[in-house]
Amino acid sequence: MDGYTISVLSNIGLFAFLAISAWILLIAGEISFGQQAYFAIGAYSGGIATAVWQWPFAAGVVIAVALGAAVGALVAWPTMRLSGLHYAIATLAFAELTRASLNVFTYRRDIEGFATGPDGANGFGDIRWVYEAGIEPGAYLAIIAGCLGAVIGLVALMSYGRGMARLRIVGEDPILAAMQGLSVTRTKIAAASLAGGIAALGGALYAHLATYIEPAQFSVMTGVHALAYGLIGGLGTVLGPILGVLIDIGLLESLRVFAGYRMIVFGGLVVLVLIVRPRGLLDEPTMRRVQAWLRR
Amino acid sequence: MLTLENLSKHFGGVHAVDGVSLTIHEGEIFGLIGPNGSGKSTTVNLITGLYAPTTGTVTLDGYDLTAMAQHERTAMGVARTFQNIRLFGNLTVAQNLWVAQNGHEQRRAHFLPRWFKAGGEHSPDIDELLKFSRLHSKRDLPASALSFGEMRRLEMARALASNPRVLLLDEPAAGASLEDGQLLAERIRDVRDRGVTVLLIEHMMELVMGISDRIAVLNFGRKIAEGSPAEVQANSDVRAAYLGSKHKDEELIHA
Repeated sequence: MDGYTISVLSNIGLFAFLAISAWILLIAGEISFGQQAYFAIGAYSGGIATAVWQWPFAAGVVIAVALGAAVGALVAWPTMRLSGLHYAIATLAFAELTRASLNVFTYRRDIEGFATGPDGANGFGDIRWVYEAGIEPGAYLAIIAGCLGAVIGLVALMSYGRGMARLRIVGEDPILAAMQGLSVTRTKIAAASLAGGIAALGGALYAHLATYIEPAQFSVMTGVHALAYGLIGGLGTVLGPILGVLIDIGLLESLRVFAGYRMIVFGGLVVLVLIVRPRGLLDEPTMRRVQAWLRR
Repeated sequence: MLTLENLSKHFGGVHAVDGVSLTIHEGEIFGLIGPNGSGKSTTVNLITGLYAPTTGTVTLDGYDLTAMAQHERTAMGVARTFQNIRLFGNLTVAQNLWVAQNGHEQRRAHFLPRWFKAGGEHSPDIDELLKFSRLHSKRDLPASALSFGEMRRLEMARALASNPRVLLLDEPAAGASLEDGQLLAERIRDVRDRGVTVLLIEHMMELVMGISDRIAVLNFGRKIAEGSPAEVQANSDVRAAYLGSKHKDEELIHA
């Protein structure tokens, strides 16, 4: 693979984490415009762990996931009382709060003669662990793919057990779900925590590939894209949001034909899919047909 | 068995339910009737925990349910159907029952939930319920593909799947014809014969009067009568509530 292909595939992989994160909340019946905040939390905490504290990479990823999951649960605790538009606005507000906080967050230490760490709006550079360890871009792509595989595996495990059924049921009708004896509160907090952890995992991987991050990268548009990926790709399977990322980054951004028109084409595509297939290309009826076909 | 004591729900200045006390005995079919807006559905929502009461308590077998969340009350044995049918349209008929059967059991799974037991909708209990509600041939259809009457039957089967002590039926005959109503009466008796106490909220008088052991009448959120169907029918306050107040008519004539 040439360098360009590897970088496109890496980007697809990284955005897939964010898309799956937003997709999980869509399944649970919530529209979140704020998953980029957890991506940022993962990027910053993972970066601080390896660049400032000089921890090993794996430890940085673990702390990022743990922090993302913890903050996700903490934010869900008050916001799960909200639904629909109110929830969407609350998540948007939280994400902007996070970005604004990172704009003034400075935490620098002297590492080998250089001041290293987040420096407010100037960003956070020198997250060099991957390069110092001599990991080639191709090998890092394999790491991204492995982590993504683990996330997909986790969701598959949840579909095999009861986890996904719980999420879908609560998402479809929370009142009825409670009447079936399911704790809506606990389910929603668990979903938000899972979504936060997955986005943070993507963020930590992103920070180490980019080596430089700044608050402006985690803007509302990033979150809107993450949400749109699931809506385009479909809510019937975890492959839906990944399909969405493939369409946007794989086709629209990477093919030169669309050059300056990418956002216009993407926006039009979102509108079209929402009209023709409100629950995305790979929606639940499609997946039921696929499953029935596989069983034969 | 199910006891409401001085139960009230005020929405701002509106007293939707106002100091209602009721005792429903084990194994009976108890009818709750009243004109539109008299507080019947609000009472159901107070019993199931959808609303928190302004004052008063709900107890089941001596356990105070008042502070419990909805899902905890389900585990205690309260089940309901909805006036406007609520089903998981994306799930199959059998899966709808499976969810109801297993949702509340998770509380009892102490440490590890039974994660690796999907496909549990092929259980004998569910087969029995499907036969009971004559939905066996539809078990693998999505619930959204059912006819109106089938949806109503599935709702009742689903409520039974959680193995309740008391079943609240919120206008089960809404949208049904008179003949359907007679079939429904038989089904409700069948449910009672399974050992489930029934609280029936209904507009269709033939149905309520025909099968209820006792009846309470609500008007403007207050209980105005309670007793056997015959006693309630003979009650002058009940007649006034349904046919309009005699005194008011006289006032109009004299005015």
